[in-house]
Amino acid sequence: MKPIFVRGVSNQFRLTLAVILSVILMLANDRLEPVRQSLASLLSPIQYLANVPGQLLDWSSEAVATRDMLRKQNQALLRQQLLMSERLQRYEHLRQENERLRALLGSPVHMDSRKMVTEVMEVASDPFHQYVVINHGAHDGVFVGQPVVDAQGIVGQVVQVSELTARVLLLSDPEQGVPVRITRNDVRLIANGTGEVDEIEVRYVPKSTDIKVGDLLVTSGLGNRFPEGYPVARVISITNDDGQSYLKVMAQPMAALDRIRYLLLIWPEQQPTPTTDSSPPEVKDATNQGETP
Amino acid sequence: MMLQNTRGGLVVWFSMLLGLLFQLMPVPEVVDASRPDWLLLIMIYWAMALPHRYNILTAWVLGTVLDVLLGSYLGIRSLTFSLVIYVIVLNYQKLRNFSIWQQALIIAFLLLLYHLLIYWMQFVIFRSEFQVQQLLPVLSGTVIWPWIYWLLRRLRRRYKVK
Repeated sequence: MKPIFVRGVSNQFRLTLAVILSVILMLANDRLEPVRQSLASLLSPIQYLANVPGQLLDWSSEAVATRDMLRKQNQALLRQQLLMSERLQRYEHLRQENERLRALLGSPVHMDSRKMVTEVMEVASDPFHQYVVINHGAHDGVFVGQPVVDAQGIVGQVVQVSELTARVLLLSDPEQGVPVRITRNDVRLIANGTGEVDEIEVRYVPKSTDIKVGDLLVTSGLGNRFPEGYPVARVISITNDDGQSYLKVMAQPMAALDRIRYLLLIWPEQQPTPTTDSSPPEVKDATNQGETP
Repeated sequence: MMLQNTRGGLVVWFSMLLGLLFQLMPVPEVVDASRPDWLLLIMIYWAMALPHRYNILTAWVLGTVLDVLLGSYLGIRSLTFSLVIYVIVLNYQKLRNFSIWQQALIIAFLLLLYHLLIYWMQFVIFRSEFQVQQLLPVLSGTVIWPWIYWLLRRLRRRYKVK
């Protein structure tokens, strides 16, 4: 049963209503963050559902892994673990020495921060930004602005949180800037994403700055967003253009941003941790082992 | 009658959920750039077939849901979805009588409008750069439209969605 004439409100009215509502959404975007968070929590089952095909693929590739492959992988991991533990022994010694020296100087001693392993969910995100979705959210104490690292270095920061998932803005996004310093001489700079996964730009570098290709940039801890001392990128090119007032410095992020899989969420020390006891036991164990090997 | 109506509604919403999943599903990097706008295409079909039940405000809701799930600026897709569906709802009788290729041409035009509007709003807000790849979904959407049309029409007739 379809009426020839449209009953009720007209299409023009509906369009006007939709446009007004959309404009309200756009203008109040920042203030609507709690609404977005609860909506995203409500809709996160869809994300988990969309993630299933990718997980199935992963699972099947693991299931068909041959005995030989597993043996080789195991050997490689054992070797790596040996190297790591050797490095850790030296690190532990240095840490204790550092703490003693700091105590002598009267500076505050660095504390270990809480960490949690999280996995990248394979779901699509806004094509205009470089996001990844992770499978931990507000339920586990994840908060907006939280730094995220992987085995190689800084990956980015959390920008949106729902109850069960969170969205991480990668280092390479043009909206993302990281305060860094050069390890060689402690010069402080700011690294900015370019939109390319394997390239970030160091901005506003005066021409007299002592910076070389191959320099390692680590977080400087200024800005209180990223904790100090994590590797960010390595300088790959420096262009000195006479027409410009600054050097054009490009760097390559240490983390392989297009291949990230497992990430580490960090709770910086000064940040109050709302749900300390909700971290998975295995991670807690891992961090404890780090303290007393 | 009542029962049939609710079942019909279920079929429609199920197809939209499927569209949403296709929109979010992981695909190889190469295909990702030309991922068609599944949800919009499915919404266009239902707006064309049943414009009195699924129209501009349905599109607005779907657009908002997509914005939230993609993590983009709220309101961008709500607005563009509403505008595209407005054009469809105004011309649904003409569109239904077009041949499938004429339809695909109109759809191509609407998809182009949709992507340019999204890009334009992104540009105003974030100063994003324009790349031609951003228009690949227009091409893939146009190619895939006849199949979506055929599939959903079979679904609609099979379940007598009214």
